[in-house]
Amino acid sequence: MDTSVIWERLTIICRDLFEDDEIVLREETSARDVEGWDSLSHIQLMVAVEKEFDIRFHTAELTGLANVGQLVALIARRMGPSATKA
Amino acid sequence: MSPQRTDLTAEAEKQDWPDLYRQAREATEYAQLLSILRKRKRLLKAGQRWEFSRSVRLAMLGGATTELLEEPLELCLESRGVCCQLHRSDYNTFAQEMLDPSSATARFRPEVAVVVSTPFNIPTWPQAGDSLLRVREQAHEVCSYWLGLCAKLHDHTGCEILLNNFHPLPVRPLGNLGAKTPWDANNFLRRVNRELGDQAPPYVHLNDVEYLSAQHGVSQWFDPRFWFHAKQPVSFACLLPYVHNTACIIGGLVGRTAKCLVVDLDNTLWGGVVGDDGPEGIVIGEGDPIGEAFKAFQEYLLQLKQRGVLLAVCSKNDDANARTPFDQRPEMVLRLKDFVAFHANWRTKPENLREIAAQLNIGTDALVFVDDNPVERDQVRQSLPEVQVIELTEDPADYVRLLDHAGLFEIASFTNEDADRTRQYHENQLREKSSAAVTDYPAYLATLRQQAVVRPFEPAFLDRITQLINKSNQFNLTTLRMTRSQVEERMQSPASLTAYVRLVDRFGDNGLISVFCGRKEGEELWIDEWLMSCRVLQRGVEQLLCNYVVDKASLMGIATLRGVYIPTAKNRMVQDHYRGLGFTWVHEEPDGTAHWRLDVADYRPFSVQIHLVEEY
Repeated sequence: MDTSVIWERLTIICRDLFEDDEIVLREETSARDVEGWDSLSHIQLMVAVEKEFDIRFHTAELTGLANVGQLVALIARRMGPSATKA
Repeated sequence: MSPQRTDLTAEAEKQDWPDLYRQAREATEYAQLLSILRKRKRLLKAGQRWEFSRSVRLAMLGGATTELLEEPLELCLESRGVCCQLHRSDYNTFAQEMLDPSSATARFRPEVAVVVSTPFNIPTWPQAGDSLLRVREQAHEVCSYWLGLCAKLHDHTGCEILLNNFHPLPVRPLGNLGAKTPWDANNFLRRVNRELGDQAPPYVHLNDVEYLSAQHGVSQWFDPRFWFHAKQPVSFACLLPYVHNTACIIGGLVGRTAKCLVVDLDNTLWGGVVGDDGPEGIVIGEGDPIGEAFKAFQEYLLQLKQRGVLLAVCSKNDDANARTPFDQRPEMVLRLKDFVAFHANWRTKPENLREIAAQLNIGTDALVFVDDNPVERDQVRQSLPEVQVIELTEDPADYVRLLDHAGLFEIASFTNEDADRTRQYHENQLREKSSAAVTDYPAYLATLRQQAVVRPFEPAFLDRITQLINKSNQFNLTTLRMTRSQVEERMQSPASLTAYVRLVDRFGDNGLISVFCGRKEGEELWIDEWLMSCRVLQRGVEQLLCNYVVDKASLMGIATLRGVYIPTAKNRMVQDHYRGLGFTWVHEEPDGTAHWRLDVADYRPFSVQIHLVEEY
């Protein structure tokens, strides 16, 4: 499955939200790797992701993810198989 | 980088703030808000500051998390010309903070407190099977609990308090039966909300979350996921509407309320172009969906007028043509008498808006502009950024909602002056016409048959006095704003000398039009407030009030009046106020603040063409 579009759009959101144009997201990137990624901005991030990809996270998923790789996989799953083909 | 270049950059950045604040006023989505906030942070980091006409000390209290509301609220207030100093109390500590006179919130001495409460903060709920009588008592208890907390905080700090009423719960365990069952949770909340509305004292301002949640849909308003995670009182989808509403109320409290709505005519009040289609060809009224949409808009404008908003016309039209629909089309809801200014000509809208403001003696920042033509809107935005321009869609059925939800006419109380405002402006125009015909001004004043009541502040007029203190910009010596509670304190203080003036003449009642407030220090009386509505300039009211004040001051053992003039961008007209009343100039501070004094013993009362009465 090609998730490159998701990576791209997520990178734009993060660069915007954390005000750092240098941010490069990797599978293993997590909150502690990014300055300003705290519990409050995490919620803002999840809200922005929901809006951007038109999906809805479950309560457990809002804080239960270990890294960006898991977030991207979850977005891809929620969007369904058609969304990642583009 | 050369010095000139730095200047140019600074000049460009000066433009950034008005742009930023316009974007903030027009933002509709949380994501937009976040991006504007980031831009604001960058400007602040770059050392850019904007000057505000008003600042306010604001305490946030929550039975929910308030942290994510704060920056958006600051931004919304700034976009209305109000900067704030904000104090946050810890999550869910609102009760202690409000009860304890030495709490951090009380010590902060807020002017305004925002209490962010949700249905989760209701202490007791009815039990299944409770009788109507019992549920009524419980609703009363819940209401007393909240208003009791507010009373305590108000006692300790004198602040104005914004209190949420409650949004309905998104679910119904009793189904439709709940609607007729007293102990049903939603039925109970409705009762509590009604009780809050009935019982709230003047210093409590309800943040009508019940309405907002209905407007946006209660399932949309409350997102349980974010409540469970972070105790967010409102979903992110509805955070902006909540913050916007809160800022509108606070704006109203500090006098940032618009006064006059200026509307275009063709395709704004009716469908079509009267100059081309003729009065019989324009679309207005029943029988045509577009005609009904315009009629609904006119009905809404009429409701605004009835609550004290002035209406004015600004249209690119031939004057005679522009008036014909009002005379010849019975379907028109609005009549010419509903407008206080009618500008139909071929000059630019910004020019006309300036003239309308001058004619009504108000600032251009008190104008709201509604025009279907995006080019006109843009021109007004460019040349008069302080005018609130409503961004319309091309569908007249949207007009009412877009204007209403802008929340520009928020007021803390409704007074007799609000109900009568349009009539008072019309009477004023008659007076002016009548004065234009005379050459002997004192003789003209005599023909007005003026009568005035001058009395110390009284509870019945506190709302209007507070309104005038917070609205007057031009005839205002100090522009010292006060909340209703502060005005009440002055009314009760034995060291105060307060006065209001009501004025009536042969054309009608001008209402309460002047306010004075002084504070005794030893044998001196310091004048903190002296202001007047510009509708009654040069009628002798200042002299009448001065006579009254000197008279009362001497009874209080005061030897000297101390007057202060604090210059602002708007109050130049009163820079010689004290000279005109016989005060002596003392000195001037570097910021232009001028000090004046008057020895009571030397005062000779002015003769005025106003008959002083106990009541008219």
